Amino acid sequence: MNNQKFKILAIVDAVLIVVLIVVMMILKGNYNDQAQASVKEQVGAYQEKANGMLQEQWKSMDQYGMAWKLVYATLTGDKSEASFDAAVKAIEGDKDARLKQLSYMYTAAGIPDKVQNDINEKGGLADKFLLKDEGGVKEVACGKNCTLSFTFVKGKLKDSDYKALVEYNMDEAFKLEAPAAFHFE
Amino acid sequence: MNIKNIAIVLTVLVVAIAAMLFMQKGNYVTQATEHYNKTTGNSFKGSSKIIEYVNSTAGTTKMLWALTCDAVQGAKTSQDMAKLEGKYFPATKGSNSISQKTRRFEPTAAYYIVTTFDKVDVDKKTDLKTLAGLKSIDVGALLGNATIAAAVAEDEDGEEEGEE
Repeated sequence: MNNQKFKILAIVDAVLIVVLIVVMMILKGNYNDQAQASVKEQVGAYQEKANGMLQEQWKSMDQYGMAWKLVYATLTGDKSEASFDAAVKAIEGDKDARLKQLSYMYTAAGIPDKVQNDINEKGGLADKFLLKDEGGVKEVACGKNCTLSFTFVKGKLKDSDYKALVEYNMDEAFKLEAPAAFHFE
Repeated sequence: MNIKNIAIVLTVLVVAIAAMLFMQKGNYVTQATEHYNKTTGNSFKGSSKIIEYVNSTAGTTKMLWALTCDAVQGAKTSQDMAKLEGKYFPATKGSNSISQKTRRFEPTAAYYIVTTFDKVDVDKKTDLKTLAGLKSIDVGALLGNATIAAAVAEDEDGEEEGEE
């Protein structure tokens, strides 16, 4: 190759270098923005999932506590439908007592007050307790995928089945999945 | 330096910059992956611990509630209570306070029940005192009406006699 060709090659190289550096600088900014946005989005989605699970557990434990309280009140009470209805109303309506019972459990489990307050502020207590009240058959929620049934005939308790509560498997109901692998397009 | 050498150096530089360009994305992906793994890993670990601890405590309350509900449906004496305690919590035994006619069963420091009886029975042969005539069961701790620290520090007073 003669000098003329090397000269052309050098010029082309110089141009290419400038172009590549410009492309690199542009891509650098793009990759940085994309990576940050992608991390933020995926971390946020996972934290939302984890927090959602904690809030769901909090609500479920609220229902669980109310359900046991109701079962105990029913077993020790006069077993009339009127007393049952009053107990459901009183238990569900007393939010201070619910929060106290729930918070006591979390404190016993070693969960700091700050974490409890955070979960409660974001998720709150359970919205539902009495799920069904038709023809003497009453169903109450006792947690995630947990329902208790009480049957009344002529105003008197005929059947109360709280087996679901005794057999309630919390480890199965509340299990947080590990985060998925990070993906970057 | 002649033009030939300059051209060669510049060509090498072009190749090097092009390689850097392709590696650039990989670096960002690595950094982002590290940050993602660390942040979500901490979140997973912390939340899983909360879930596990709460599940475990709820499991204890479940057994204690079940014991209590069984007791109010049939138990009459402190021996009956001892049998139920053994059924749900084989490793823990309750204790009677003969002077107060109560039996305290405390599977954990935070969760306990106190059963109140009507009278004290004395076995004439063995002179063993037991409690009979179950009146009520205090489920205050199960309802959250107790102080955990106090429950830990609280000592049984009065005369105590072990069951069985």
